[in-house]
Amino acid sequence: MTVNTIQPGHGRVVVRNDGFSNVFSELSAAYPLKLLSPQIPSSNVSVVYMLSYGGGLVGGDRVQLHAEVLDGARLAMLSQGSTKVFKTRPGHRLAALAETGTTTEQKLEVHVSPGSALFLLPDPVTCFRDANYHQSQTFHLAKESSAVLLDWITSGRKSLGEEWAFSRYYSLNEVFVDGKRIARDATLLDEQYAQEGPLIPRTLAERMAPYSCYATVILYGKLVQRTCHGLSAAYSAITVFKQHRPPPLLWSLSPICDGRGWVLRVAGKDTEDVKVWLGKALVDLESIIGVDVFRRAFS
Amino acid sequence: MDSDHEAYILLLLSDSNLPTGSFVASAGLESYVTHGFFADLSSPSSSAPTAPPDKMDYTVNFLRDSLSSYAHSALPFVLDAHLIVEDALKEAHEGAEGALDSALRRLRELDELYESTTLNHVARRASKNQGVALLTLFSKGFSKPQLSRHVRRAEPVGAPEPDAIVSKLVDRLKLDVRCEETHGHLPICWGVLTAALRLSPERSQYLHLFLQARSLLSSSVRLNTIGPYAAQQLLLHAVRPVVESEMSRCKRLTAASLTSQRSSAAAQDEDKALLGPAMTWPLGEILAARHDLQHSRIFNS
Repeated sequence: MTVNTIQPGHGRVVVRNDGFSNVFSELSAAYPLKLLSPQIPSSNVSVVYMLSYGGGLVGGDRVQLHAEVLDGARLAMLSQGSTKVFKTRPGHRLAALAETGTTTEQKLEVHVSPGSALFLLPDPVTCFRDANYHQSQTFHLAKESSAVLLDWITSGRKSLGEEWAFSRYYSLNEVFVDGKRIARDATLLDEQYAQEGPLIPRTLAERMAPYSCYATVILYGKLVQRTCHGLSAAYSAITVFKQHRPPPLLWSLSPICDGRGWVLRVAGKDTEDVKVWLGKALVDLESIIGVDVFRRAFS
Repeated sequence: MDSDHEAYILLLLSDSNLPTGSFVASAGLESYVTHGFFADLSSPSSSAPTAPPDKMDYTVNFLRDSLSSYAHSALPFVLDAHLIVEDALKEAHEGAEGALDSALRRLRELDELYESTTLNHVARRASKNQGVALLTLFSKGFSKPQLSRHVRRAEPVGAPEPDAIVSKLVDRLKLDVRCEETHGHLPICWGVLTAALRLSPERSQYLHLFLQARSLLSSSVRLNTIGPYAAQQLLLHAVRPVVESEMSRCKRLTAASLTSQRSSAAAQDEDKALLGPAMTWPLGEILAARHDLQHSRIFNS
């Protein structure tokens, strides 16, 4: 294992399969990012928890994680509880006032070699009032690799009356297969400022209503074909008759890249409902990453 | 190009009888209505009691959210495609070799990027249908007729005629779409068409949003959610400020730096990323993608 000095907020994960079991040839991170890999029953599946000190990120924090999944290894990347994004560090309001409006940034780049698989199944991001969050995730896959990439967001601290009260959330997921971009999922949610003219600005909360959790899952590769076929069958079996109120949960499924990949989107009035729904929709993954790892992600 | 020409082109392009295929697209409105979103979703708050929202309000809600997301994701492509064709025209007129080839290559890259950005299959389908309809419209409806009994033939000049260059470009793009070498998405084809007709980029973007809004309102009339007079009222009083505010937010966005197929390290830079195309209404995406699940429907999207 090489020991490099790592920059603040940077992390590196390299996991390979030596034919018998997974081996981490690198696993390192620097404050405010923390990486943990617990022991799990299966030797061909590894888990890395992406954590932050104090369970949240503040304005100005920059986290940059680089991962490689090689030689047929399967890697699940999880978090523990939702990623909380504060505008300022709690308890340091005065000291942090100077950095008002600074963005919190998270970057992730993962390379997945042929035959290997990545399961990015974190808890959702929760942006607190006035937070400014910028996330960009790039995935380099090969035709024979597989991936399940979950990216989701909640409306904020509902218990404090926060509903879509952050100032900006930007999330970019780009998926490349053998160097060709197959998906560019860019989402921008921000409060629009009043402009000249007669229009009253439409608030972010109005645009997102009545849901308080939105999830996107990008699925690709041979390992997830069964999951995708199941979802696709369930989706085409739906018939929507005229409704008078929006349903508590809505989902959609679209093929991309000639059906080799899928984009699943879910919206729910309740984050827990979305989590339960995802746990059911993706339950086939149990046989791929193991029941233990799957439950770590969805319970 | 002088403003008289531009005004005349605007008249032609804003004709609601133009065969652009937009009359079968509701851009998710039909699904929005079916899924019960014409309902008061505001949480009962302590604010002063006002009259409950009516169908006009719901229609404008949809119009604003939908147009905002469309502007943010499609206008950058309109602009880039438009500029590519403008450049090609200039270069070809100066006799540069390969100007057309390079323009076509760049348009195809842009088209591919739009395909990978548009992650819902219903929107992709509608966009391709309308895009190819625009190319057909140009080559069949806007190319120069012979009319030798009525119109004097222009004296042949040294450099190739702009009209000839443009027709060649559009024909080759159409062929590429037919051979499935590219997709022919609406924003790209709109940029090509309007550049070919020598509309300024800003006029082109504005008109594109206006037509998108008008098409949504015609859909609501066909869906019987509002009447034709109400649609006209909204067109005059609501659509203009909405289009103008989206224009000021989105007219400078560009996708040009993202077309490289390799890793887009540049796109990850915060300022640059915010200048690129993005979807701003996830609910609209879900509803649009659920269009085909409706028990009965009159639109294709």
